[in-house]
Amino acid sequence: MFGVSINNIIDIDQKYYSMEDYQGDVPRWCPGCGDNGILTAAQRLCREEQLPPEKTVFVSGIGCSSRFPHYMNTYGFHGLHGRALPIAEGVKIRRPDLHVFVNMGDGDCCSIGTAHWIHAIRFNMNMVVMMHDNGIYGLTKKQASPTSPKGTKSNTSPKGSYLDALNPTATTLGVQNVSFVAQAVEWIPELLYEIIRQAYKHKGFSFIRIMQRCPHYTPAMFDPLMSNPENLVMVTHENGMQMSDALKKVYKNVVTHDPSDMSQANYYANMTDKMPVGILYKNENVPCYEELRKPERTVTAKLKQEALEKEFDKFGIMPTE
Amino acid sequence: MADSLIAEGLEKYFNPETTAEVKAIEGTHAASYAAKLARVKVVSAYPITPQTTIVEKLSEMCASGEMEAEFIKVESEHSAMACVIGAESTGTRSFTATSSQGLALMHEELHWATGARLPVVMANVNRALGAPWNIWADQTDSLAQRDTGWIQCYAESNQEVLDMIIQAYRLAEIVMLPVMVNMDAFFLSHTTEPVALPKQELVDQFLPEYNPKYKMDINDPHAFGGLAKPDTYMELRYNIQKSMEDAHRLIPEVADEFEKVIGRNHGGLIEEYQTKDAEYLIVTSGTITGTSRIVVDQLRAQGLKLGLLKIRFFRPFPVKEVQSVLGKIKKIAVIDRNLSFGRCGIFFSELQAALYNCECRPLLNGYVAGLGGRDVTPKTIEKIVNHLIASEKGEDLIWMELNI
Repeated sequence: MFGVSINNIIDIDQKYYSMEDYQGDVPRWCPGCGDNGILTAAQRLCREEQLPPEKTVFVSGIGCSSRFPHYMNTYGFHGLHGRALPIAEGVKIRRPDLHVFVNMGDGDCCSIGTAHWIHAIRFNMNMVVMMHDNGIYGLTKKQASPTSPKGTKSNTSPKGSYLDALNPTATTLGVQNVSFVAQAVEWIPELLYEIIRQAYKHKGFSFIRIMQRCPHYTPAMFDPLMSNPENLVMVTHENGMQMSDALKKVYKNVVTHDPSDMSQANYYANMTDKMPVGILYKNENVPCYEELRKPERTVTAKLKQEALEKEFDKFGIMPTE
Repeated sequence: MADSLIAEGLEKYFNPETTAEVKAIEGTHAASYAAKLARVKVVSAYPITPQTTIVEKLSEMCASGEMEAEFIKVESEHSAMACVIGAESTGTRSFTATSSQGLALMHEELHWATGARLPVVMANVNRALGAPWNIWADQTDSLAQRDTGWIQCYAESNQEVLDMIIQAYRLAEIVMLPVMVNMDAFFLSHTTEPVALPKQELVDQFLPEYNPKYKMDINDPHAFGGLAKPDTYMELRYNIQKSMEDAHRLIPEVADEFEKVIGRNHGGLIEEYQTKDAEYLIVTSGTITGTSRIVVDQLRAQGLKLGLLKIRFFRPFPVKEVQSVLGKIKKIAVIDRNLSFGRCGIFFSELQAALYNCECRPLLNGYVAGLGGRDVTPKTIEKIVNHLIASEKGEDLIWMELNI
């Protein structure tokens, strides 16, 4: 504590965090990569919510998307392939006071880390999970992933992939204790931000599948969605995603869906002809594991502070006795 | 490679009578072509740098019909090995490939392949393990799998990768143990070299169709993966050890047989280079060997009696072969691109243990160099040789080119 002036402490308390304060390294994603938009949305959320960088953790796995923590000026953990979720659980169980964000790709979440994904939903720890879905393994240079649409030609499927793509939102909805499922597209920044914000506000495991363009390996994958806004179904509700009137002029296919309605959520998640965007499901009543299992600590931060202040008072304040 | 070897080697390597085609390919593709020539029927893998191109090539050949095999891209390396284990259990020759973290994830299944006596062959690209992330050459990944019961060999050139994999199937299917063929990340995996692809009929002659005694067969039912209680487990382990000893004996025989049919022989468990009158010896594995050959030639031209010993097989470890070479030597330098924390280079400690019961024990120095893909240049090897000559007492761990 020596050398720290009271003025500095006041300064810290009053600090306003700008976008720049959350910017880490210069992103090294390809030009036009959808990950850049997701990064900006996350940084904007941090600024709007004024999340102290030292109280914020971004955890990732392996893949292009998993470079995310390098570009956030917060705490970060670039983890192992598929293991972002258990690492985040480890952080959360011991430090429930931290804001935990997870970034993983479709390979990470829906392939090598699938077991962790299913169980993380069940744990329902309070964290925001962004699944960057570009339908391809980008970092290892174009191999079909579980979310690649059937027929995707790649370096491991030269004649086109044989299986129907895995549906991450429908899968998540099918797991016990699911509490928040949303789908976003990174090319509508306003809605991406809105969905991430709602995910942050939701207490529990907030899963967002973000359709993310890969200009290098799957450049045409989202063309039908981008060239024809009618192909996006805007799922809105007073308790879910809300849209500005300006956006409604472009994206005219707007429906109202109460996110507490599980069967409707399943209907939207399983749409095959169109792509729903919005909050599909939300349930505030599912307990979070870290609270169910909250350890009873005898020495809490509050107790420590009280004890320390009592000691400091002996020097700073004239004893009354 | 030395000039003399090139002239001699060209003839030997690219014998038109046994070669279907000479292709300029990278190490990973040498592995893919080997699997194709071995007529594997199932390939299961997961992408990981720098292995990915092995399975990409295989998937391409499976899709085009050039290879009559099923390619399955599963959801992790753990599943890749499990899938290959399943395929082998049905009596099908199978192949997978991985690297570093992927190999570590397979660890549990590696033991299983051995215990279940399944002759799986796998190519592993030696890459460093995290943290911190590093995708470059380092042998610690495969050496950490030392006690899984896999036969392990290390290739120096792309041609050796191809020949080793074909021979690995022959060996594995005799002793019924799995084999891991290792190549250095990037130095081999992504370096293009001319590779002679042998004629398919000659490979077929060398490597007969796989037909195991026990397989999943409804006409001859067996149970797999049963429980072995304390009264039988130890005997099963004994059998594995005996098969390892058989492999030790068979490796040079298989190499000779391969030479008879295809015309190339890279050596048995070890390869000696200029060891006949050598007083000093460098011991290497993988691509450091190629660099060391140049240094040996250069220093020999200056009158130094220097030789080179390349360790091709790490499991079974060539104890008697090493003993017979080292007896004549005064001082030995082992160069390790790997490290067992708290001890020293792994090849070094194996070699040191192998010499303990020798009557004549030369001075032994262990050098750790090139971890995480750092270049091991002729200059580094020269430094090692000079240090060795000046040494009066053996040292287990000497760090090379360390920036601290």
